[in-house]
Amino acid sequence: MRGFDGVLVSRSSMALIERLRLSWSTLECALLQAFGLQRRLVPALVIEAPVNFPPYESEPRDNDQSDSSGFLDSIFWMAAPKKRRTIEVNRCRRRNVQKLEKVKNNIEVCQDCGRLKLKHVMCAFCYQKVVHETALVRAQIQAQEGRPHNTPPVENVVLYAGEKATEADEGKRIIERNRKRPAWFTVDS
Amino acid sequence: MHNTFPQQLSAAFIRSLLTHIHSRLLASCSLVAQSHIHSSLPLPAKNWERKNRVVYPPQLPDEPRRPVEVYHCRRQIKYSKDKMWYLAKMIRGMTFDQAVAQLQFNDKKGAKVMLEVLLEAQEMAVRNHNLEYRSNLYVAESFSSKGQYLKRIRYHGRGMFGIMDKVYCHYFVKLVEGSPPLKKATTGFDQAKEYVQQLRNRTIIHSL
Repeated sequence: MRGFDGVLVSRSSMALIERLRLSWSTLECALLQAFGLQRRLVPALVIEAPVNFPPYESEPRDNDQSDSSGFLDSIFWMAAPKKRRTIEVNRCRRRNVQKLEKVKNNIEVCQDCGRLKLKHVMCAFCYQKVVHETALVRAQIQAQEGRPHNTPPVENVVLYAGEKATEADEGKRIIERNRKRPAWFTVDS
Repeated sequence: MHNTFPQQLSAAFIRSLLTHIHSRLLASCSLVAQSHIHSSLPLPAKNWERKNRVVYPPQLPDEPRRPVEVYHCRRQIKYSKDKMWYLAKMIRGMTFDQAVAQLQFNDKKGAKVMLEVLLEAQEMAVRNHNLEYRSNLYVAESFSSKGQYLKRIRYHGRGMFGIMDKVYCHYFVKLVEGSPPLKKATTGFDQAKEYVQQLRNRTIIHSL
Protein backbone atom coordinates (compact mmCIF):
# COMPACT_ATOMS: atom_id res chain seq x y z
CA MET A 1 0.00 0.00 0.00
CA ARG A 2 1.08 3.59 -0.52
CA GLY A 3 2.12 5.93 2.31
CA PHE A 4 1.84 9.80 2.37
CA ASP A 5 4.83 10.24 0.09
CA GLY A 6 3.61 7.71 -2.44
CA VAL A 7 6.34 5.31 -1.25
CA LEU A 8 5.37 1.60 -1.19
CA VAL A 9 5.18 0.48 2.50
CA SER A 10 3.70 -2.54 4.29
CA ARG A 11 0.52 -2.39 6.46
CA SER A 12 2.33 -2.99 9.82
CA SER A 13 4.93 -0.29 9.15
CA MET A 14 2.07 2.11 8.22
CA ALA A 15 0.50 1.52 11.65
CA LEU A 16 3.90 2.05 13.31
CA ILE A 17 4.41 5.32 11.44
CA GLU A 18 0.89 6.42 12.40
CA ARG A 19 1.55 5.75 16.11
CA LEU A 20 4.92 7.56 15.94
CA ARG A 21 3.22 10.58 14.34
CA LEU A 22 0.54 10.71 17.05
CA SER A 23 3.08 10.51 19.88
CA TRP A 24 5.24 13.21 18.23
CA SER A 25 2.21 15.51 17.89
CA THR A 26 1.25 15.10 21.56
CA LEU A 27 4.88 15.74 22.61
CA GLU A 28 4.99 18.90 20.47
CA CYS A 29 1.69 20.17 21.91
CA ALA A 30 2.99 19.63 25.44
CA LEU A 31 6.20 21.54 24.63
CA LEU A 32 4.25 24.42 23.07
CA GLN A 33 2.01 24.71 26.12
CA ALA A 34 5.07 24.73 28.36
CA PHE A 35 6.70 27.57 26.41
CA GLY A 36 3.42 29.51 26.13
CA LEU A 37 3.64 29.87 22.35
CA GLN A 38 0.32 28.15 21.77
CA ARG A 39 -2.03 30.73 20.38
CA ARG A 40 -5.34 30.49 22.21
CA LEU A 41 -8.41 32.53 21.40
CA VAL A 42 -8.40 34.79 24.46
CA PRO A 43 -8.30 38.62 24.69
CA ALA A 44 -4.81 40.17 24.93
CA LEU A 45 -5.27 42.24 28.10
CA VAL A 46 -6.16 39.42 30.46
CA ILE A 47 -5.18 39.18 34.12
CA GLU A 48 -6.69 35.82 35.08
CA ALA A 49 -5.54 32.52 33.55
CA PRO A 50 -6.91 31.77 30.06
CA VAL A 51 -9.16 28.73 29.69
CA ASN A 52 -7.74 25.87 27.63
CA PHE A 53 -10.12 23.34 26.04
CA PRO A 54 -7.97 21.03 23.93
CA PRO A 55 -10.20 19.01 21.61
CA TYR A 56 -7.75 16.14 21.20
CA GLU A 57 -7.46 15.20 24.92
CA SER A 58 -8.23 11.50 25.22
CA GLU A 59 -6.51 10.53 28.53
CA PRO A 60 -8.70 10.40 31.69
CA ARG A 61 -8.24 13.34 34.11
CA ASP A 62 -5.97 12.76 37.16
CA ASN A 63 -6.56 13.91 40.72
CA ASP A 64 -4.24 16.91 40.50
CA GLN A 65 -5.97 17.95 37.24
CA SER A 66 -9.33 18.13 39.11
CA ASP A 67 -7.86 20.77 41.49
CA SER A 68 -6.76 22.95 38.55
CA SER A 69 -10.11 22.42 36.81
CA GLY A 70 -11.81 23.56 40.05
CA PHE A 71 -9.63 26.69 40.00
CA LEU A 72 -10.35 27.21 36.31
CA ASP A 73 -14.10 26.86 36.98
CA SER A 74 -13.88 29.53 39.67
CA ILE A 75 -13.04 32.28 37.12
CA PHE A 76 -16.67 32.27 36.13
CA TRP A 77 -17.31 33.41 39.72
CA MET A 78 -15.12 36.53 39.54
CA ALA A 79 -16.72 39.96 39.89
CA ALA A 80 -16.95 41.99 36.69
CA PRO A 81 -18.65 45.32 35.98
CA LYS A 82 -22.10 44.94 34.49
CA LYS A 83 -22.34 48.31 32.78
CA ARG A 84 -19.97 51.04 31.72
CA ARG A 85 -19.62 53.78 34.32
CA THR A 86 -20.91 56.97 32.72
CA ILE A 87 -18.82 60.14 32.76
CA GLU A 88 -21.38 61.78 35.09
CA VAL A 89 -20.94 59.01 37.65
CA ASN A 90 -17.17 59.13 37.19
CA ARG A 91 -17.14 62.90 37.71
CA CYS A 92 -19.24 62.60 40.89
CA ARG A 93 -16.68 60.17 42.27
CA ARG A 94 -13.55 62.03 41.17
CA ARG A 95 -14.69 65.52 42.09
CA ASN A 96 -16.45 65.05 45.39
CA VAL A 97 -15.24 67.31 48.17
CA GLN A 98 -13.29 64.61 49.98
CA LYS A 99 -11.03 64.11 46.94
CA LEU A 100 -10.36 67.76 46.14
CA GLU A 101 -7.12 69.36 47.32
CA LYS A 102 -7.53 70.94 50.74
CA VAL A 103 -6.56 74.59 51.14
CA LYS A 104 -4.01 75.01 53.95
CA ASN A 105 -4.79 77.60 56.61
CA ASN A 106 -1.58 77.25 58.66
CA ILE A 107 0.74 79.32 56.47
CA GLU A 108 2.29 82.38 58.11
CA VAL A 109 5.19 84.77 57.57
CA CYS A 110 8.60 84.08 59.15
CA GLN A 111 9.54 86.85 61.61
CA ASP A 112 13.26 86.69 60.80
CA CYS A 113 13.44 86.59 57.00
CA GLY A 114 9.93 87.53 55.88
CA ARG A 115 9.35 84.47 53.71
CA LEU A 116 6.42 82.07 54.12
CA LYS A 117 6.50 79.18 56.52
CA LEU A 118 4.12 76.63 58.05
CA LYS A 119 3.18 77.33 61.66
CA HIS A 120 4.64 74.18 63.19
CA VAL A 121 7.67 73.91 60.88
CA MET A 122 10.86 75.93 60.77
CA CYS A 123 11.23 78.44 57.95
CA ALA A 124 12.98 76.70 55.04
CA PHE A 125 15.29 79.65 54.31
CA CYS A 126 16.36 80.06 57.93
CA TYR A 127 16.97 76.31 58.09
CA GLN A 128 19.20 76.52 55.03
CA LYS A 129 21.20 79.29 56.74
CA VAL A 130 21.74 76.98 59.73
CA VAL A 131 22.67 74.08 57.44
CA HIS A 132 25.27 76.20 55.65
CA GLU A 133 26.86 77.42 58.89
CA THR A 134 26.89 73.85 60.30
CA ALA A 135 28.71 72.63 57.18
CA LEU A 136 31.37 75.30 57.67
CA VAL A 137 31.78 74.35 61.36
CA ARG A 138 32.11 70.69 60.35
CA ALA A 139 34.75 71.61 57.77
CA GLN A 140 36.65 73.45 60.51
CA ILE A 141 36.42 70.38 62.78
CA GLN A 142 37.70 68.17 59.96
CA ALA A 143 40.64 70.54 59.40
CA GLN A 144 41.43 70.46 63.14
CA GLU A 145 41.26 66.67 63.43
CA GLY A 146 43.28 65.96 60.30
CA ARG A 147 42.43 62.28 59.81
CA PRO A 148 39.22 60.26 60.40
CA HIS A 149 38.44 58.68 63.81
CA ASN A 150 40.48 61.37 65.57
CA THR A 151 37.66 62.90 67.64
CA PRO A 152 38.65 63.65 71.25
CA PRO A 153 36.07 62.45 73.83
CA VAL A 154 35.17 65.98 74.96
CA GLU A 155 32.40 68.47 74.29
CA ASN A 156 32.73 71.11 71.58
CA VAL A 157 32.23 74.85 71.81
CA VAL A 158 32.11 77.17 68.80
CA LEU A 159 33.70 80.58 69.27
CA TYR A 160 33.29 83.34 66.75
CA ALA A 161 35.59 86.33 66.03
CA GLY A 162 36.50 88.32 69.12
CA GLU A 163 35.11 85.84 71.66
CA LYS A 164 37.02 84.32 74.53
CA ALA A 165 36.51 80.95 76.21
CA THR A 166 34.78 81.31 79.60
CA GLU A 167 35.48 79.18 82.71
CA ALA A 168 32.37 77.15 81.91
CA ASP A 169 34.16 76.03 78.72
CA GLU A 170 37.04 74.38 80.66
CA GLY A 171 38.03 71.07 79.14
CA LYS A 172 35.97 71.53 75.98
CA ARG A 173 37.33 71.47 72.44
CA ILE A 174 37.25 74.94 70.91
CA ILE A 175 36.27 75.39 67.28
CA GLU A 176 37.07 78.83 65.94
CA ARG A 177 35.13 80.57 63.18
CA ASN A 178 36.45 83.90 61.96
CA ARG A 179 33.21 85.69 61.35
CA LYS A 180 30.70 87.57 63.41
CA ARG A 181 28.40 85.41 65.52
CA PRO A 182 25.09 84.90 63.66
CA ALA A 183 22.03 86.25 65.39
CA TRP A 184 20.32 82.90 65.64
CA PHE A 185 23.34 81.16 67.27
CA THR A 186 22.79 82.23 70.85
CA VAL A 187 25.33 81.74 73.68
CA ASP A 188 24.31 79.50 76.57
CA SER A 189 24.07 81.62 79.67
CA MET B 1 3.80 18.64 9.99
CA HIS B 2 0.31 19.97 10.84
CA ASN B 3 1.11 21.15 14.35
CA THR B 4 4.05 23.39 13.45
CA PHE B 5 1.71 25.83 11.64
CA PRO B 6 0.16 27.37 14.80
CA GLN B 7 3.65 27.72 16.29
CA GLN B 8 4.92 29.52 13.19
CA LEU B 9 1.79 31.65 13.05
CA SER B 10 2.08 32.71 16.71
CA ALA B 11 5.80 33.50 16.42
CA ALA B 12 5.24 35.49 13.24
CA PHE B 13 2.25 37.23 14.81
CA ILE B 14 4.24 38.24 17.89
CA ARG B 15 7.16 39.44 15.79
CA SER B 16 4.94 41.53 13.51
CA LEU B 17 3.07 42.97 16.49
CA LEU B 18 6.30 43.92 18.25
CA THR B 19 7.73 45.58 15.13
CA HIS B 20 4.43 47.44 14.69
CA ILE B 21 4.51 48.65 18.26
CA HIS B 22 8.18 49.63 18.08
CA SER B 23 7.58 51.62 14.91
CA ARG B 24 4.62 53.34 16.57
CA LEU B 25 6.79 54.13 19.62
CA LEU B 26 9.56 55.56 17.44
CA ALA B 27 7.02 57.65 15.56
CA SER B 28 5.58 59.03 18.76
CA CYS B 29 9.11 59.63 20.12
CA SER B 30 9.96 61.68 17.06
CA LEU B 31 6.73 63.68 17.49
CA VAL B 32 7.59 64.47 21.10
CA ALA B 33 11.23 65.46 20.39
CA GLN B 34 12.03 69.14 19.86
CA SER B 35 12.25 70.38 16.27
CA HIS B 36 15.81 70.83 15.09
CA ILE B 37 15.06 73.88 12.93
CA HIS B 38 16.74 76.88 14.52
CA SER B 39 14.68 80.06 14.49
CA SER B 40 15.60 83.29 16.24
CA LEU B 41 11.98 84.07 17.19
CA PRO B 42 10.06 81.08 18.61
CA LEU B 43 6.77 81.13 16.74
CA PRO B 44 3.84 80.40 19.05
CA ALA B 45 1.96 77.96 16.89
CA LYS B 46 -0.51 76.90 19.57
CA ASN B 47 -3.58 78.90 20.52
CA TRP B 48 -2.88 79.68 24.15
CA GLU B 49 0.50 81.21 23.44
CA ARG B 50 -1.03 83.33 20.67
CA LYS B 51 -3.48 84.96 23.08
CA ASN B 52 -0.73 87.16 24.48
CA ARG B 53 -0.20 88.74 21.04
CA VAL B 54 -3.64 90.37 20.92
CA VAL B 55 -3.19 94.15 20.56
CA TYR B 56 -6.11 96.41 21.41
CA PRO B 57 -6.56 99.91 19.94
CA PRO B 58 -5.54 102.72 22.30
CA GLN B 59 -8.15 103.47 24.94
CA LEU B 60 -10.12 106.71 24.94
CA PRO B 61 -9.73 108.95 28.00
CA ASP B 62 -13.23 108.28 29.30
CA GLU B 63 -13.03 104.47 28.99
CA PRO B 64 -12.45 102.42 32.13
CA ARG B 65 -8.92 101.09 32.30
CA ARG B 66 -8.61 97.63 30.76
CA PRO B 67 -7.08 95.20 33.28
CA VAL B 68 -3.85 93.42 32.30
CA GLU B 69 -4.32 89.82 31.17
CA VAL B 70 -1.48 87.35 30.84
CA TYR B 71 -1.77 83.90 29.32
CA HIS B 72 0.91 81.33 30.06
CA CYS B 73 1.27 77.59 29.71
CA ARG B 74 3.76 74.78 29.94
CA ARG B 75 3.66 71.82 27.56
CA GLN B 76 4.54 68.15 28.01
CA ILE B 77 4.85 68.08 31.79
CA LYS B 78 5.68 64.55 32.96
CA TYR B 79 2.58 64.23 35.16
CA SER B 80 -0.98 62.95 34.89
CA LYS B 81 -3.64 65.36 33.65
CA ASP B 82 -6.14 64.06 36.20
CA LYS B 83 -3.76 64.65 39.11
CA MET B 84 -2.85 68.08 37.72
CA TRP B 85 -6.54 68.96 37.55
CA TYR B 86 -6.90 68.80 41.34
CA LEU B 87 -4.17 71.41 41.81
CA ALA B 88 -5.52 73.58 38.98
CA LYS B 89 -8.98 73.43 40.58
CA MET B 90 -7.52 74.41 43.96
CA ILE B 91 -6.00 77.68 42.75
CA ARG B 92 -8.87 78.74 40.49
CA GLY B 93 -10.11 82.15 41.59
CA MET B 94 -7.40 82.72 44.22
CA THR B 95 -5.26 85.81 44.44
CA PHE B 96 -1.73 85.38 43.11
CA ASP B 97 -0.07 85.46 46.53
CA GLN B 98 -2.55 82.99 47.98
CA ALA B 99 -2.04 80.61 45.05
CA VAL B 100 1.75 80.83 45.37
CA ALA B 101 1.54 80.16 49.13
CA GLN B 102 -0.69 77.10 48.65
CA LEU B 103 1.47 75.66 45.89
CA GLN B 104 4.64 76.29 47.86
CA PHE B 105 3.51 74.04 50.69
CA ASN B 106 1.76 71.39 48.62
CA ASP B 107 3.63 68.09 48.45
CA LYS B 108 2.55 67.05 44.96
CA LYS B 109 4.93 66.94 42.00
CA GLY B 110 2.66 69.11 39.86
CA ALA B 111 2.66 71.86 42.49
CA LYS B 112 6.33 72.62 41.88
CA VAL B 113 5.79 72.90 38.11
CA MET B 114 2.69 75.05 38.57
CA LEU B 115 4.55 77.38 40.90
CA GLU B 116 7.27 77.90 38.27
CA VAL B 117 4.62 78.61 35.62
CA LEU B 118 2.87 81.16 37.84
CA LEU B 119 6.09 82.99 38.66
CA GLU B 120 7.08 83.04 34.98
CA ALA B 121 3.66 84.46 34.10
CA GLN B 122 4.04 87.18 36.74
CA GLU B 123 7.46 88.07 35.36
CA MET B 124 6.03 88.25 31.82
CA ALA B 125 3.18 90.47 33.01
CA VAL B 126 5.52 92.91 34.72
CA ARG B 127 8.04 93.05 31.90
CA ASN B 128 5.96 92.88 28.73
CA HIS B 129 2.37 93.66 29.63
CA ASN B 130 2.63 96.90 31.57
CA LEU B 131 1.54 95.49 34.91
CA GLU B 132 1.93 98.06 37.68
CA TYR B 133 1.87 96.06 40.91
CA ARG B 134 3.15 92.52 40.63
CA SER B 135 0.92 91.11 43.37
CA ASN B 136 -2.25 92.78 42.08
CA LEU B 137 -3.12 89.62 40.14
CA TYR B 138 -5.60 86.80 40.46
CA VAL B 139 -5.93 83.43 38.76
CA ALA B 140 -8.80 83.80 36.30
CA GLU B 141 -8.39 80.49 34.47
CA SER B 142 -6.35 77.45 35.37
CA PHE B 143 -6.68 74.01 33.83
CA SER B 144 -4.74 71.02 32.59
CA SER B 145 -5.05 68.92 29.48
CA LYS B 146 -3.61 65.75 27.96
CA GLY B 147 -0.19 65.94 26.32
CA GLN B 148 1.26 63.50 23.80
CA TYR B 149 1.75 60.10 25.41
CA LEU B 150 4.55 57.61 24.83
CA LYS B 151 3.54 53.97 24.65
CA ARG B 152 5.47 51.15 26.24
CA ILE B 153 4.88 47.42 26.72
CA ARG B 154 3.95 46.15 30.15
CA TYR B 155 4.64 42.44 30.54
CA HIS B 156 2.00 40.28 32.27
CA GLY B 157 2.21 36.56 33.05
CA ARG B 158 1.69 33.75 30.55
CA GLY B 159 3.06 35.70 27.63
CA MET B 160 0.34 38.34 27.86
CA PHE B 161 1.20 42.00 27.49
CA GLY B 162 -0.48 45.31 27.85
CA ILE B 163 0.34 48.68 26.34
CA MET B 164 1.43 51.14 29.04
CA ASP B 165 1.00 54.88 28.50
CA LYS B 166 3.75 57.24 29.71
CA VAL B 167 1.53 60.20 30.51
CA TYR B 168 2.26 63.85 29.86
CA CYS B 169 0.07 66.89 30.43
CA HIS B 170 -0.12 70.57 29.58
CA TYR B 171 -0.94 73.26 32.13
CA PHE B 172 -2.60 76.58 31.20
CA VAL B 173 -3.08 79.64 33.37
CA LYS B 174 -4.55 83.11 32.83
CA LEU B 175 -3.67 85.86 35.29
CA VAL B 176 -5.73 89.06 35.38
CA GLU B 177 -4.94 92.32 37.15
CA GLY B 178 -7.07 93.31 40.09
CA SER B 179 -8.83 91.54 42.93
CA PRO B 180 -10.72 88.30 42.21
CA PRO B 181 -14.45 88.60 41.51
CA LEU B 182 -16.62 87.70 44.48
CA LYS B 183 -18.20 84.30 44.13
CA LYS B 184 -21.91 84.31 44.88
CA ALA B 185 -22.51 81.63 47.50
CA THR B 186 -25.29 79.50 46.04
CA THR B 187 -26.93 76.78 48.05
CA GLY B 188 -27.66 73.36 46.65
CA PHE B 189 -31.36 74.22 46.51
CA ASP B 190 -30.66 77.30 44.37
CA GLN B 191 -28.47 75.28 42.02
CA ALA B 192 -31.20 72.67 41.66
CA LYS B 193 -33.77 75.41 40.96
CA GLU B 194 -31.49 76.86 38.27
CA TYR B 195 -31.05 73.43 36.70
CA VAL B 196 -34.80 72.87 36.56
CA GLN B 197 -35.29 76.34 35.09
CA GLN B 198 -32.69 75.55 32.40
CA LEU B 199 -34.60 72.40 31.52
CA ARG B 200 -37.81 74.40 31.30
CA ASN B 201 -36.24 77.01 29.01
CA ARG B 202 -35.47 74.47 26.31
CA THR B 203 -37.46 74.93 23.09
CA ILE B 204 -38.67 71.90 21.20
CA ILE B 205 -38.02 72.52 17.53
CA HIS B 206 -40.27 71.32 14.73
CA SER B 207 -43.20 70.95 17.07
CA LEU B 208 -46.76 72.26 17.05
